[in-house]
Amino acid sequence: MHIPDGFLSTPIWITLDFAAAGTAGWLARRATTEVDESKIPLLGVMGAFVFAAQMINFPVAPGTSNHLVGGALLAYALGPWAASLVMVAILAIQAFVFQDGGIMALGANTINMALAGVWAATIPYRRFGASRTGIFVGAWLSVMVSGCLALTELLLSGVPIPSALVAASSGVFCVSALIEGAITVAVLQAIERINPGWVRKPVGERNRAAGVFLSTAVVLVVFGVLIASAAPDGLERLAERAGVAHQATTVYKTALADYQIAGFESIWLRKAAAGIAGLAAIYGLCLAIGALLRKRPLADDVVAAGAPELT
Amino acid sequence: MHHVLLERWSRAISPVHQRDARIKLLAALIFLIVVATTPPLAWRCFVTYAAVLIAATLIARLPIAAVLSRAALVVPFCIVFGITTWVLGDHARALGLLEKAFLSAWTALWLAATTPLPRLLKAAEWYGVPRLLILVIQFLYRYLFVLSEQAQHMRHAAACRAGSQGAARSLFRAAAGALAVLFARSYQRADGIYRAMQSRGFTGSFPAVALGRLTVADAAFLLLAVVPVIAVRFL
Repeated sequence: MHIPDGFLSTPIWITLDFAAAGTAGWLARRATTEVDESKIPLLGVMGAFVFAAQMINFPVAPGTSNHLVGGALLAYALGPWAASLVMVAILAIQAFVFQDGGIMALGANTINMALAGVWAATIPYRRFGASRTGIFVGAWLSVMVSGCLALTELLLSGVPIPSALVAASSGVFCVSALIEGAITVAVLQAIERINPGWVRKPVGERNRAAGVFLSTAVVLVVFGVLIASAAPDGLERLAERAGVAHQATTVYKTALADYQIAGFESIWLRKAAAGIAGLAAIYGLCLAIGALLRKRPLADDVVAAGAPELT
Repeated sequence: MHHVLLERWSRAISPVHQRDARIKLLAALIFLIVVATTPPLAWRCFVTYAAVLIAATLIARLPIAAVLSRAALVVPFCIVFGITTWVLGDHARALGLLEKAFLSAWTALWLAATTPLPRLLKAAEWYGVPRLLILVIQFLYRYLFVLSEQAQHMRHAAACRAGSQGAARSLFRAAAGALAVLFARSYQRADGIYRAMQSRGFTGSFPAVALGRLTVADAAFLLLAVVPVIAVRFL
């Protein structure tokens, strides 16, 4: 799911880089005032844990195995604020040291996995509590949202992906999301057996309605994206109509302009505008979810990135 | 292993290694932006970019074949998209995906192979990346290989005890148990790390890697790296 450089169109990676840099900066500033100095090593070591966890294979079907992605697990162990920050650190190391995911695409990958992926995981967790259902659905949603966002960004960038391939990769996302759910449930249960204090209980039971609303919204968005991607004709038609309208006005306004250039420019502008609008909508949704979830006291959330004292 | 090689490369001595990390980071970012915004069929541009990267790799005295093969790790992923894009008729974009992904990976690798990570992070901090994020990345990188090795040992131990025999269900549960133990050890390790830091008088930040003053050589390097690329792209 790591997007390399060269795949996203310029307006899209620039928008996402700015959005991600702003959000990550804000995240870090909030956390700097909230995170106890003693928890800083824990955040780094937990990031290293997620890396190391990729060495342990989980047998899935005969001949195939899978490993933990970890966004949801981090969110449940550290709380979403700290988990997002740790995921940003992981993505930065992957991009700069391992060339896994591009540097210009770091913003997109951050939005997909560190922000949307982590926060999506907390919604079902808050709704269903720290039950198997809550954990499973949370981890499923986390991978699903990251995958669908990546796919959407590629489609908006104009990478032509045939609908069969879109459907196939959505299927792959869905299956790996189910596996992530199963792995996260199994690992969290095993961790709770070692020390129940290490898994944070979801906080903010009180706004249940908001939880239901948000999880429904996220699920709807995910499936909406899937359906829209599987049937890109609709999107195409829409863009075409917009383009025709745009071209018409261009021709009308600049009757002497070179036809070819006017057409080219309108295509570029159209794509850029559509891309930015779509991503702004997705980003706004993420921010709205974040703002809604932020209403509970921040302090115990980030500070509880920490541990019950070990003896 | 990748990281050991990269660590060794990044600590070598060459005219490129001696340049300031801030300058190298800036040069790499400008280069990446220029590559990302180049239309796919601008051959003159891409040949120039490759020439600049070859020169930068050679002056850094890095083994060029090894660097290229490492950068090529990004290619299989791109081939999948490249082929579908080509088949769908967008030949220019198909080539663009490959060219840009490969050149960008090469640039990132060049940066990591000529600048030790602590210096790179210091430079990033100088450019305004939040200190907390830098600290987390630093800890992550330090313990990444320690924990990976631990995970590998656990995997070997499990294989010695039971091999890959048994029902998938019990293997699955065993893997979950192993991860839980790794998690517990990581948690305890973090606790120990903080106590050790405290006992050594941790003040909230690591002893700074001195960045030093920018020299004329640094400025010259930046110009040499960036001017040809920008010139061929925009003139």
